[in-house]
Amino acid sequence: MKLPFFRSPDGREGGTPADPTEAPRMGGQVLPGADAPLDRRDETVLPTEPAVSDAQGEVPPTVTAPAVPVGPTKIAARDISVFYGDKQALYDVSLDIPDKTVTSFIGPSGCGKSTFLRCMNRMNDTIQGARVTGQILMDGDDINARSVDPVLLRAQVGMVFQKPNPFPKTIYENVAYGPRIHGLTSSKSEMDGIVEVSLKRAGLWDEVADRLHSAGTGLSGGQQQRLVIARAIAVNPEVILMDEPCSALDPIATAKIEELIDELREQYCIVIVTHSMAQAARVSQRTAFFHLGRLVEHGDTEEIFTNPRERRTLDYITGRFG
Amino acid sequence: MDPARIDRDYPQGTNFQLLVAQQQLARMGVVDDAQGTQATAYRTLLSSELKFRAADLVRRDPSVIGQTVEITAPMSDDADLYYKGEITRDEDAALRRVSDRQMEWLDDLKRDGSVTSGFNTLLFTQGDSTEPELAGVLGAVVGSALMLLVTALIAIPLGVGAAVYLEEFARKGRITDLIEVNINNLAAVPSIVYGLLGLALFINFAHLPRSSPLVGGLVLALMALPTIIIATRSSLKAVPPSIREAALAMGASRTQTVFHHVLPLAMPGVMTGTIISMAHALGETAPLLLIGMVSFVPGIPGAITEPAGALPSLVYIWENASELAFHERTAAAILVLLVFMIVMNAAAILLRRRFERRW
Repeated sequence: MKLPFFRSPDGREGGTPADPTEAPRMGGQVLPGADAPLDRRDETVLPTEPAVSDAQGEVPPTVTAPAVPVGPTKIAARDISVFYGDKQALYDVSLDIPDKTVTSFIGPSGCGKSTFLRCMNRMNDTIQGARVTGQILMDGDDINARSVDPVLLRAQVGMVFQKPNPFPKTIYENVAYGPRIHGLTSSKSEMDGIVEVSLKRAGLWDEVADRLHSAGTGLSGGQQQRLVIARAIAVNPEVILMDEPCSALDPIATAKIEELIDELREQYCIVIVTHSMAQAARVSQRTAFFHLGRLVEHGDTEEIFTNPRERRTLDYITGRFG
Repeated sequence: MDPARIDRDYPQGTNFQLLVAQQQLARMGVVDDAQGTQATAYRTLLSSELKFRAADLVRRDPSVIGQTVEITAPMSDDADLYYKGEITRDEDAALRRVSDRQMEWLDDLKRDGSVTSGFNTLLFTQGDSTEPELAGVLGAVVGSALMLLVTALIAIPLGVGAAVYLEEFARKGRITDLIEVNINNLAAVPSIVYGLLGLALFINFAHLPRSSPLVGGLVLALMALPTIIIATRSSLKAVPPSIREAALAMGASRTQTVFHHVLPLAMPGVMTGTIISMAHALGETAPLLLIGMVSFVPGIPGAITEPAGALPSLVYIWENASELAFHERTAAAILVLLVFMIVMNAAAILLRRRFERRW
């Protein structure tokens, strides 16, 4: 593996097929701006400021989020690199993700944004051959520490996937599954309450209240995705990760999900990966732009979209590539 | 019932068939010679079952001795074949098993209504016998059922467990590759080789009882395992990864993910593989040859350690028998085997449909 500083001028080696969760990628396209000097670009792009989080401790921040009062830092990632076998999919990403905020990850396919998302609930552990280096602190605790049970972590960090994936069980069972396996309830009525509250919060209650015991897979795509969100919030997580939650949905269903995300923002730390820049602009307060496995730029959504610091960001958001 | 010829204390020692034969001949006015050749010839037309029924009657009610009673019993297999037209007068008298004289007697009996034909329930209530008219499939059916029970109890948990481990828990590497190749090869090993293995392992080494459904079931379980493992693995692979991800992301452990979500979804496929391998095991004869299950077992096994036959081996034995009457019973046994299989498969399919409609 070549060191990242020595990558070829067309910038390909960072973007070679790396993230198995994302299929098509940029191929050998020569990127505008890629011929500019690239050495240690990612680390020097942003002004180095004192860390927002007090949890960083001995790890020197390579990239620091600009101090924008969107909420206290919930997750602090430091120098995260991910390898799938011999291929490196993510290069030294450092990012602070604030609480009670929607943070969106944008970037072309295969740029590592989903990979980074999956680091935050250790879903990469489930892929054989995947290796994560670096440190992710959630509320100051290293989630990759040996003492942390990924099962318990995932109860705190819910995840919603690109394709709605309700369990082939009833709507009720879908929502009740999480609380049941984590032993959150002791009685049937308590469970009924959790199911109702979760479905209400996901904005699905009115549509399914009379058919809770019919199959969850019988719902429409948008309803299924909201069911999956209800399932995720039923265990009362602190963070919700969404991996392109609307890419399989029509515009109306998408609008409903976006509305829902905006409502959920008040209670949860939400991270959303999206291919739609319009969506990122609509739902998120913070945006991070990934390219070829690197975090190129991050900051307030408004700033990223109106006044990006990076040439590549500008090219991407104006649709010149990706 | 001639008091002079029946021993009260040991009625089964009496030759009731000869008694009946002599009586019938006397009624027809036939005078026998000193050696009783006529009576002996007549006697062969009657089944030995007659003796047991008469002896039973005497034992239950000794007062019948000295009286004339009516007893219903099967005719011998040769008489049966004559009535069915399997033995005809056109055949060479020296080669056929029923003489012209016996044929006349049989015609007589038919004419006066002493002989009626009915459904052969003995076929379903008796074990194997050297007498075709008394031979039944029950022993073999029970033997096959016990054997399949052993097979299912061993092969299904072990096969499904192995498949789940290999597919869901084991780290993929050289060892799992080796195991996979082995399993695939084992599925193609001729069944008689499994019989040899069973003979060496279970009988010669472990000293389990020969001819028993236990050993038969163990051998068939070995044979069924690769099929079950392969079918289970492929149906586990067919479960969409999104379900696995969903469960894992909900904070389910790997075990919970497998047993709450993946395995239930794979269940129809698992059941299909199991049904196929069980049906295959039911019809298997070759391995049974080597562990002594293709032998004459007259009783009905009451436990898995008792000697027993199996339906396919019964078919094989009957087809090889010298008595002509066994050949039609072979056809009956084949039908019973097929019905057994259909019933089993229907039950399994019903079960599978229940699994599919769990919600």
